[in-house]
Amino acid sequence: MTSTWALVLDAYRDLNSKKLFWITLVISGLIVLAFAAIGVNEQGVTLLHWQISDFGGTVTSDTIPPAMLYKSIFSNFGIAFWLAWGASILALISTAGLIPSFVQGGAVELVLSKPITRVRLFLTKFACGLLFTTLQVAVFTFACFLVIGLRGKSWEPSVFLAIPLVVIFFSYLYSICALIGLVTRSTIAALLLTLLAWFGLFLVNFGDAAMIGMREAAKTNVENLEKSVARHERFATRQWEQLWLTRNTKDLPDGAPKPTPPKPPVAELDEAVPTLRDERRKLAEQQQMAQRMELFATAAVGLKTVLPKTGETIDLLSRTLRDRMNLPGDDSDTETSNESQPPDQARTVNFWNQRDPEESRKLQQRIDGEFKKRSVWWVLGTSLLFEAVILAIACIVFVRRDF
Amino acid sequence: MGMGLVAAAPKERQVESAPAFGPVTPGEWGAGAPSHRSETGEWAIDLRNVDKMYRGKVHALRGIEMRVKKGEVFGLLGPNGAGKSTLVKILMTVIAPTRAEGTMLGQPVGHKPTLARVGYLPEHHKFPEYLTGAQVVEFYAALAGVDRATRKKRTPELLELVGMKDWGNKKVGGYSKGMRQRVGIAQALGTNPDLVVLDEPTDGVDPVGRREIREMLTRIKEEGRTVFLNSHLLSELEMVCDRVAILVQGKVKSQGTIEELTVKRQVYEIEVAALGADGVEGLVAALEGKQAARMLAGRVEAAPLGSAAGVNIAKRVGIRGQLASGEEVEVDHGTVRIATVDAERIQPTLDALRGAAYVIKSVKANRPSLEDLFMEAVTDPETGKALGPGAKKEGGAK
Ligand SMILES: Nc1ncnc2c1ncn2[C@@H]1O[C@H](COP(=O)(O)OP(=O)(O)O)[C@@H](O)[C@H]1O
Ligand SMILES: [Mg+2]
Repeated sequence: MTSTWALVLDAYRDLNSKKLFWITLVISGLIVLAFAAIGVNEQGVTLLHWQISDFGGTVTSDTIPPAMLYKSIFSNFGIAFWLAWGASILALISTAGLIPSFVQGGAVELVLSKPITRVRLFLTKFACGLLFTTLQVAVFTFACFLVIGLRGKSWEPSVFLAIPLVVIFFSYLYSICALIGLVTRSTIAALLLTLLAWFGLFLVNFGDAAMIGMREAAKTNVENLEKSVARHERFATRQWEQLWLTRNTKDLPDGAPKPTPPKPPVAELDEAVPTLRDERRKLAEQQQMAQRMELFATAAVGLKTVLPKTGETIDLLSRTLRDRMNLPGDDSDTETSNESQPPDQARTVNFWNQRDPEESRKLQQRIDGEFKKRSVWWVLGTSLLFEAVILAIACIVFVRRDF
Repeated sequence: MGMGLVAAAPKERQVESAPAFGPVTPGEWGAGAPSHRSETGEWAIDLRNVDKMYRGKVHALRGIEMRVKKGEVFGLLGPNGAGKSTLVKILMTVIAPTRAEGTMLGQPVGHKPTLARVGYLPEHHKFPEYLTGAQVVEFYAALAGVDRATRKKRTPELLELVGMKDWGNKKVGGYSKGMRQRVGIAQALGTNPDLVVLDEPTDGVDPVGRREIREMLTRIKEEGRTVFLNSHLLSELEMVCDRVAILVQGKVKSQGTIEELTVKRQVYEIEVAALGADGVEGLVAALEGKQAARMLAGRVEAAPLGSAAGVNIAKRVGIRGQLASGEEVEVDHGTVRIATVDAERIQPTLDALRGAAYVIKSVKANRPSLEDLFMEAVTDPETGKALGPGAKKEGGAK
């Protein structure tokens, strides 16, 4: 215990000597002050006691109550922008040096010669990095809690959920940073490669979303086209049957029972309604596309399963907070179905370029639905597993190294 | 007289039956070691078969055998790259040995809890610059598990011991090399250790500081601690060490008290006034005739090292041989050298020379200095040149 405390104290002194810890805290403080300075009244948005704008009457205390304003700023800006990006980068910058300076030649020998196992030494150092990030996040969150409470008159303990989730999110990155710092013994290398890895994760995340989006778009198209083909077939069949009946009943005496038309041959249907052939071709295309996208999406999900899910961890936090704080989410459930004949051709939506707002809203819903299917345990569990593997590798490297 | 010393420490087996001229053959002294278990109480460090092969295939240690008695100041001497720091780092678990048998403070090498009883000053240490001298002492003591109250009490005492009392509250970043070294020594004592391991403690310290460090070492020893000291500075070790080991290219060439190491290399030099017409051959003939000495034919080339470094004993010049009584003898111009510590043993030779009508100009008992021993140890017997620094790469010329 004495030795653990000594290591924590040393990490504090290290960070303290680099000033960055305090700089980050000051920036956090300024952001909180700006947060508190914003307000909303009957006339619109205010900054301190200046009236700024009412955005054309859309933002006043009648449309958005103060509590709602602060909560949504916290969840949309405070978490998604500041904690998940700005503060995390600053935290990485200030803590990236902990491990490299720890394993520096001349400094590490004495520590290793103490009666502490190397695994414990390393994990304690790693925990120190997290501890100081936790402090930063906690201070920021607590200040935001006060602002929401005092200015928004709504005390929301669920904002504190940000502390564990942001720290978990940060710990994925910090484990990578610690491993690189240990191997290269360079703060700059650790920092840059971690940021690169983060960017890589961002790309994987983006790729995953794109694959899922395209798959869902293709699936939507297949469904629409199937409906459209069916509609066209019905229409064509009716046309063909009428033709058949007019052809086969004109010679029949009145009162004779109408013969039932036989099943029309496909080729003749296609001839009857030329767009049906087009629709069939499009359907086949989209089915193939959906299959291919299914493959890619599965690969992307597989890749993501073994990687830390930075984006989804933060999404999980934002989503949970929105639910807990009764904020309007970006999903509203208004199913509309308009069955309109005659059969106009089905619109195929393109994931990248959706022109029809109705279609794109539906598509977005489907994509969101897909992401919501991913459980908390999948998001956090596999990410933490990744982190554990990285830390295990780092421990092995550290234990085996000759200093 | 030399025998008496050896008898006083029978278990140590430091005295080797090595030839007086030419380097000691390593590995001989360990023969017939008594059971090690019975000795653990007496030794602070007791190493056998310590081997280290670095990943780059540098064979830094090749079967170290070494014993450090409790309560003594032990000096490990060796040229740069001999493996001194490697050995110390193995003891301190900073690096893993390829193989290590033996104990430190009665526990096997690598036993972590024992390290709480050991103080360590690494070579080229770099204390975190944001710490003050006092914080350095406290921090490393805390890592070893020393509680706060004890730390607070000991730190000023230790800073006082190393003469850094007035500097304790200043940041290490502003210290000179000598001050850092002092704080380093204070730090090594922070855990109230039984054993203090210092790697080049006088590195970068001015002569005044060195003397003070030597005095500190003596004081540390007086407190009942064992000091294991690592240095390439010979005069330093000579002044403070009870016993030394000479490490060359990863092997212990010799170890023992300085007295033992030098006494057994004692040589009587008999100088005759003038050589006869036969020159050296006449002298040899006189010895061979009356003494039944076996002289080896041939002249050994003058070793450049010998004269350059002022070594007066290891000169490999002249004709070598053995007296009938067993002592090694060397005839070099007008000088006859006989390797013995016993004055009686040279009397027959004197008689023989006198009998052959040589005039004895002087008879001197010559003892090598530690430096001589060191130079001898680092000299390659075949080429007569100093062994290069560093360990040989495995697979290179052996
Ligand atoms: N980490 C290392 N990796 C590879 N070789 C090393 C390492 N440390 C030391 N050596 C080599 O081992 C030999 C012994 O080094 P060292 O123990 O530092 O010598 P000394 O302290 O006696 O000057 C040298 O040849 C050195 O180059
Ligand atoms: Mg060294």
